[in-house]
Amino acid sequence: MSEPFQKFRDWIDNRHEYAKEWKATRNRRIAGYFCTYVPEEILIAANVLPVRILGSHEPPTVTEPYVFAMFCHLCRDSLAQGLKGRFDYLDGIVEGQSCLHLRQAYNAWRLHIPIDYAFYIHVPHGVQTRHALPYYTEELRKFKRSLGEWTGRKITERDLARGINVMNRNRDLMHKIYEYRKPNNPKLTGLEAMEMVLSSQMVDKEDHNGALEELLKTLPSREMDRNPGVRLMIIGCEDDDRIFMKNVENLGATFVIDEHCTGSRYFWNLVDSSIQDRLVAIADRYISRIPCPSKDWPELTRIKQAVNLAQTYNVQGALVIQNKFCDPHGIEVPPLREELKAVGVPTYPLEFDVTVPWGQFRTRVEAFLETLTGLEELF
Amino acid sequence: MSQETQFWKWPEYRYTEPDKDWRKAHIITAGIDIGSVGSKAAIMLDGELYAYSVMRTGGVSEATSVKAMEWALKDTGLKKEKIHYVVGTGYGRVNVPFASRTITEIACHARGAHYVYGPTVRTVLDVGGQDCKAIRCDEKGKVLSFLMNDKCAAGTGRGLEVFADLIGIPIQNLGEVSLQVEKDPPPVSNTCVVFAKAESLALLRQGWSKEKVAAAYHAAMADRIADLLARVGIEKEFVVTGGVSKNHGIIERLTRLLKIQPLEPNMDPILAGAIGAALFAKALQEKQLGLR
Repeated sequence: MSEPFQKFRDWIDNRHEYAKEWKATRNRRIAGYFCTYVPEEILIAANVLPVRILGSHEPPTVTEPYVFAMFCHLCRDSLAQGLKGRFDYLDGIVEGQSCLHLRQAYNAWRLHIPIDYAFYIHVPHGVQTRHALPYYTEELRKFKRSLGEWTGRKITERDLARGINVMNRNRDLMHKIYEYRKPNNPKLTGLEAMEMVLSSQMVDKEDHNGALEELLKTLPSREMDRNPGVRLMIIGCEDDDRIFMKNVENLGATFVIDEHCTGSRYFWNLVDSSIQDRLVAIADRYISRIPCPSKDWPELTRIKQAVNLAQTYNVQGALVIQNKFCDPHGIEVPPLREELKAVGVPTYPLEFDVTVPWGQFRTRVEAFLETLTGLEELF
Repeated sequence: MSQETQFWKWPEYRYTEPDKDWRKAHIITAGIDIGSVGSKAAIMLDGELYAYSVMRTGGVSEATSVKAMEWALKDTGLKKEKIHYVVGTGYGRVNVPFASRTITEIACHARGAHYVYGPTVRTVLDVGGQDCKAIRCDEKGKVLSFLMNDKCAAGTGRGLEVFADLIGIPIQNLGEVSLQVEKDPPPVSNTCVVFAKAESLALLRQGWSKEKVAAAYHAAMADRIADLLARVGIEKEFVVTGGVSKNHGIIERLTRLLKIQPLEPNMDPILAGAIGAALFAKALQEKQLGLR
């Protein structure tokens, strides 16, 4: 079988070329978004292509005048892409309130990079209160109206239904593919899973759904010619470091599941299509989704999800990635590790920055793998 | 630069056990520990230390590993090819061309500490050239958990080398000099070698004695190391391996901070990683021979 995941890899490697061509051939607008709390359903309903703004993992050189150096690398690296002109095809930017760092990236972009449209959605932090749903619904109503004014075209119920359907289809297909990570020898590596989910945030969902449907035809019969080794989970905030994934999986391990906002957390929850009012349905999806820790209080529900995934996917150990200066996720690391330990899943913490010191990380990851399985017979 | 002004330069050395004969051994193994600053080769006969070498890691790890091995074997009549199994460890473990397998220095230091200090060891602190590891192990020397310092070389041997050059005192004497104060002054920065150096320079310019500045520097290193140990948890017996284990200024301050006395080694603790690797090599050779 040829490389079934090559399409996703190519989309990531050529994301800007793809977007420019998409825009030229369809003569439609593209909006960049920073956080997964932006409801792509409404952008799609407005015939706008939503693409997630992510960094490039190059040493940062241009953001210092705009963002405090002790803000997380995701916000600095994302803004750097804008300042370097790599997203020069964007017509608009949208941010859904999550953390101060991404808000600063959004504001710096809005103020210093020419852009036709910018909208900040006030996603509530108190998602566990009963007020969250009506509040967020009204925010989405404003967003919908604003998008209609910008594009000069009113968004209809039918448009919203189309946005919901294409997003739910995408989520459902990726769920189906994640099932193939469960067998003893998973049908896909963690890197491939990451490339699949990442690319879904970069291209037209219709195109992505087509590729996922093709993949599902061949994946069940895919023969993996690698020893899966240790079944690992990766947990963290935003994580799109493909080199790290590849390197770890070359040490005799396979990431069989993830819990981070560029992975399962991005697509895990579907919009409930039985809810009559489509804006309420969309709002409900984002209020009740697996939350970002910036909104996950007083109850720590994301940790329950991480434990559930660890057990469902039968992991032997978990790497807990902490993006440097990401306080919301950092606060959750101690209870997260305790809860996983309580169900017999050992964890090891690693701190990520724009670039990752692989030499040091290699020793730590290898030693962690050795403690999980490797050296028992040598004592 | 003349030898006299290279204060960072610690001595290289080798040793052969005169009472042992490799010709009588059933299993000859070697562990090569290519650290970021120092490289160590340990040759073992049936699981007993026979010969070793300790030298600086050069720019090319492959060449250093060959040199360390050849130096350890010098005048023994034993050739590299006669060694049954070689395990590479340390930062440059993947660059040992004649190693049959690599194992991390975390596992090797725990196993080596078990050999050097005995089976009561439960907590191993390895302070090497550019990193610092706190390791918890079981009665067999098997790793249970571990932590390493984050990125910066503050609290490691490389930091001491930088400081030795700044202050103009040979690195072997630094620890003793740092103890020649009545009471430790406030520590310098413990999060960055460059900041710590800059602060130390400022203190020297303020008129502090070298002893007092050395005390401030060592106190900072000990604080940082103690913090790492606290995170992994300390259980008796506690031991220190790696090059910095030879610095009494660090060991004494750690003892004060942690209120726990590290065990005294009965052989050179800088070798723990290489010895652990050679012991793993013995187990691997036995496995190959169907003996385990």
